[in-house]
Parts: sequence; structure tokens; C-alpha cells
Amino acid sequence: MAVAALPDTLVDELVAICGEDHVFTGRSALFNRARVPSPFPKHRWEEFIPQAVVLPTSAEQVSEVVKLANRAGVPVVPRAGGTGLTDGAVPLKHGILVDVKLMDKILEIDVEDRTVTVQPGINMLKLSEQLKPLGFIYPDNPASYPCSLVGGRIGTSGWSLIGGRYGHTRDLVISFEIVLPTGEIIHVGDGGGKKVRKSSSGYQLKHLFMGHQGTLGIVTEATLELVKRPEAEFSAFFAYKNYEDAWKATGDFARSGLATLAGVVLFDEWKVKYLRRDDEAYIPQPDWVNGVVAVAMYGQKDEVRAGAKHLMRIAKENGSHYLGDEISQGDWASRHDRYATPQHGRTRDGQVALMSWHCEDASILYSQLPAVREKWHAVADSLRERFDMFDDWGMFAYTNGAFKSWGDYLTEIDIGIWEMKWDDESWAAWVDAKREIARIAVEHGGSISACHGSCREGEVDLVPLELGGGFEVMKKIKRTLDPKNIMNPGKYLLDQAYEEGGE
Amino acid sequence: MIGFRLSAQKPPEAKRVKDDVVMRFDHVYEVDPALMTEHTPQQDIPAWDTLRIVDSRWEHLAWMHDHFADSVLSGEELLEEIGAEEGTA
Repeated sequence: MAVAALPDTLVDELVAICGEDHVFTGRSALFNRARVPSPFPKHRWEEFIPQAVVLPTSAEQVSEVVKLANRAGVPVVPRAGGTGLTDGAVPLKHGILVDVKLMDKILEIDVEDRTVTVQPGINMLKLSEQLKPLGFIYPDNPASYPCSLVGGRIGTSGWSLIGGRYGHTRDLVISFEIVLPTGEIIHVGDGGGKKVRKSSSGYQLKHLFMGHQGTLGIVTEATLELVKRPEAEFSAFFAYKNYEDAWKATGDFARSGLATLAGVVLFDEWKVKYLRRDDEAYIPQPDWVNGVVAVAMYGQKDEVRAGAKHLMRIAKENGSHYLGDEISQGDWASRHDRYATPQHGRTRDGQVALMSWHCEDASILYSQLPAVREKWHAVADSLRERFDMFDDWGMFAYTNGAFKSWGDYLTEIDIGIWEMKWDDESWAAWVDAKREIARIAVEHGGSISACHGSCREGEVDLVPLELGGGFEVMKKIKRTLDPKNIMNPGKYLLDQAYEEGGE
Repeated sequence: MIGFRLSAQKPPEAKRVKDDVVMRFDHVYEVDPALMTEHTPQQDIPAWDTLRIVDSRWEHLAWMHDHFADSVLSGEELLEEIGAEEGTA
């Protein structure tokens, strides 16, 4: 399906706003910004390419582009790192893609009030590198830490691996500037003060504009927490004979009340089996190892040391088997590698095939983890039986609370997909499976997504079920703020807001 | 500059460590070549390149620790301490 080019006059106007070097209409620039790492129907690639790419350098330029799009009736799709797993940055209806990667400056470091103000195109790893000599860190730590950008983290309301200690994106972003779908530039936070962490003044708009997957605007500046760099890190990996023991130990650690505990991760037996294929830490493990739990702590050396010792006593009491320093430290340090490492999938006859990593995620209560795990694996098994292009890579469950480790868990099932095999039939089966995985999460009192978002084909169908009347409010907000449905149309079923008056 | 050395090019013979895993260098595991015949053929990698990749990996992990904190605590040392305190070490 060929996509109509934008009129030359419109491209000329974009050039007048952003400059000749910052507007692209060539095939490579467009195709490279058509997808994100989530499973993508490659056989229908041309349905998702933008008509033009712009790389603005200021909020004013972003605002002018959005106003132009409103006048011309052309969609606008914001894009930061393009590492999201729910298609937020995929241009479902073509249009102008606003890539914020050139807006990557640190604008202010306020040591006194402990804030750092940045543009949205900066990466967290690069930001922390700049902060290190000053004794600070920005601890928003997703698996995509080396490649995702601050703007995208706000757009998805991201989750952090060490959120139990430092909070998640919504907690680490104090306030931000955003260009609304009609082009106005506003500032949102707790109250009006750019650096205020807690206010009871007015509506709490920060949360409204966080996790909207680019449907409510484009972030152009953010003020973030400036966190004291930890003196000490402690990570420990433990082995168990079965999932039940590992699940119980996870609860013991997560409910320990240790303030330095940054996260607890539960690996199920499918995950251990998968890692035994080609992971140097797991290949040598004895056959009795069928479950693994990892813990991580950060803070001042004295508090981490005391907390770690307390945690190791808990491990001794509940029968956890420590896997040693080399695995514990090495495996924790490699926690970001899934975005960068080619994965070895297996066909049903055991042959290696290069598959893409994908995970379906949900927020699941601790008590529901065992039951959800059984049902999700059944969905994955059914896919694999019908199509020799899917591979069940097991499940992780990560503590999901901010500044605490108990309660619900970011639960994910990793599925390898041989994406070169996609056709309409396998794609439809995948979408059905995603819908079923989401249904199971909701039926067990969970949420469809803990960190990715829930706006892709399949799971998005369940969003009205999960949110109930809240989804009707979402539609009203969308239609009010974006009367022409310019901003990232096609996402989150929000096109419904414009059908028959949106009622 | 060091010139050509056959030992730096040719990897040692593989030893089987599991049904689907072989090993040529200590603790450097490889998928059984028999599983990489249909869809993803194996490539020949010189010995020096395998060792370079392994060394780079260790450097990367050390860098990542240092990126997040000034020091890394040892679980083995803590377990020894606990054992000593309980009289079980």
C-alpha cells in the first residue's frame, strides 16, 4: 500500500519551522521510524510509515509543527527512543513524526533543591554519566536503560527495575512542559512550582499527561529528581527446587521491610529452562534448580550492608540456596541486555532460529501469581503448537510498588517470535493470544500492563473492561484537548471519542 | 604488532558439557553446532575474537556496577559472617 506524500507546500512549511536539515521525507528516515521493538506485522510494514519526519530543537518549534498539523488536518506522532513495547511511537495513520532526539540537553542542575532539568531526548544512562562526577544519579532504570529516552519514559509512564527503592518514572519526574494537541505550551506538576514535589493546589495534571502514549501531547522539558549516588550495591541470586518454594521466598524478601530493597525478581521454571539453553550463568546449574529469585539493594554502605545481612539471614531460614557472587553480581549487571542481545529461539524440533524477544506484561497481585502463570503458559503453548514460530521463554515477576516491595508484581511472559514468518493467520493468532493474556490479568484482579502500556491490537480491546467508566472519561478528555484527533490517532481506541459525538 | 599465530585463529576442539551445549574455552559455552544447521548456520569465529568478546563482556559488567554505585557488596562474605556469628562456619 503506497502512502501519499505530503503536499510540497506542507513540507516547505515544516522546513520553515524546523530548518532544512531537520525535515526528512526519504524512505530510510521514514521506514526506520515505523516500528518499535514490540512484535510488528512486517508483511504489512508500509501501512505504518510516517509521511515526514521532523527533528525539532525547541518547544516553540514543536508547537508550530502541531499547529500546522491542525490547520492541515495531518496526524502528529511523537517519538523518543522508539524502544516502547506497546506501539506508542508507531504511526498507525501516517502523518508527521516528531522525533525529539535532538532535544537532548541538560538545562539546569540544582544541587541545592536536588533537581535536574532536561530536554526529552536525553537518555538516562547518559544523564547519569554526567551526574556521576557531582555525586548524583538519575535512577530510572528500565531494561531499556541504555537506549530509551526521558520523553518516552513519560509518554509510557515507565517502570524501573529499582523502583522499590527510588520509585518509577512518575515518581522521579517532578514536573514537565508539554505541547498540547492544539499547540499550546503548558507546564504540569504537583501545583505550579516547577520543583515542588507535593501540592494540593488544583487538579493533579502530572498524572493525566503521563502514560498517554503520545495521544495528549509532546513533552519538551522535564524536571527530574537529583538522587544521591549510592555508595553500595548488593545483589543476590538464589535457587530453588520448584516454583512454589521460589514464590514463597519472593514473598519473604519483598515483605521484609528493608528500606534499601530496590527490587525482587522471581524466575519461573520455564524461564530457568530457557536460560539453560545458552546463558553461561544457568547452563552449569544442577538439574534440581527449577526456580530462581534475585534481590537488589542500593544506598549508603552502612545501611546496605546491614540490610543485606538481614536479607541473607531470611534466605538461610527459608531454604534459599545462594548461587554465589559471580552469578549474583554478573547477572544483575546484565539486566539491561535484552534490548541489545540477539536471542536464540528454538523451533519445535530444537533447531536454533533467530527470534525477536517480546514480553507481555501485567500488574498481578502476589497471591495470584501462581494461577496466572499456569494460564499464561497455556496460551503460549497453544500458539507454539499451531505455529512453529513462537517459543515460550518463561516468566519473570518483579516487585511493582514504588518505594516499597510488597503487593503487586510486574509480571511478564517472554515469547520468542520468528518475525520473518509473519502472515495474516499467525498475526491474527498472536493478537488473539495477547487479548487472552490481558483477559486473564483482568479476571485475576490485575491490570493489563505495569509498564509497557496497553494500546496495541488485542489487549487494547480489554481496556474498556478494565477501566469501566474511566474509559468514558478518557474519551471525553481526548476529544476536549484534541478536537481534530491530530495527536497520535488510532491509539487506545480513542478514535471512538469522535464517532457519533463520542458518546 | 603480533603477527599471524595459528593458535590465535583456530579454536580448540569442542567438549560436550550437556546434551545441547559444548565448550571450547573454560566457562565459555556454545550451543551444540548440530542445532545450528537448518535456519541459523554457525559462523567460524577465530579464537582471539571469542576471547576478546568474553573479556569485553567482563569489562562491560564491571562498568555497569561502577555506573550505579561506588562499591559492590559480597553475599559470600556476609554468609561467612553470619555463619561465624552462629557458630556454623
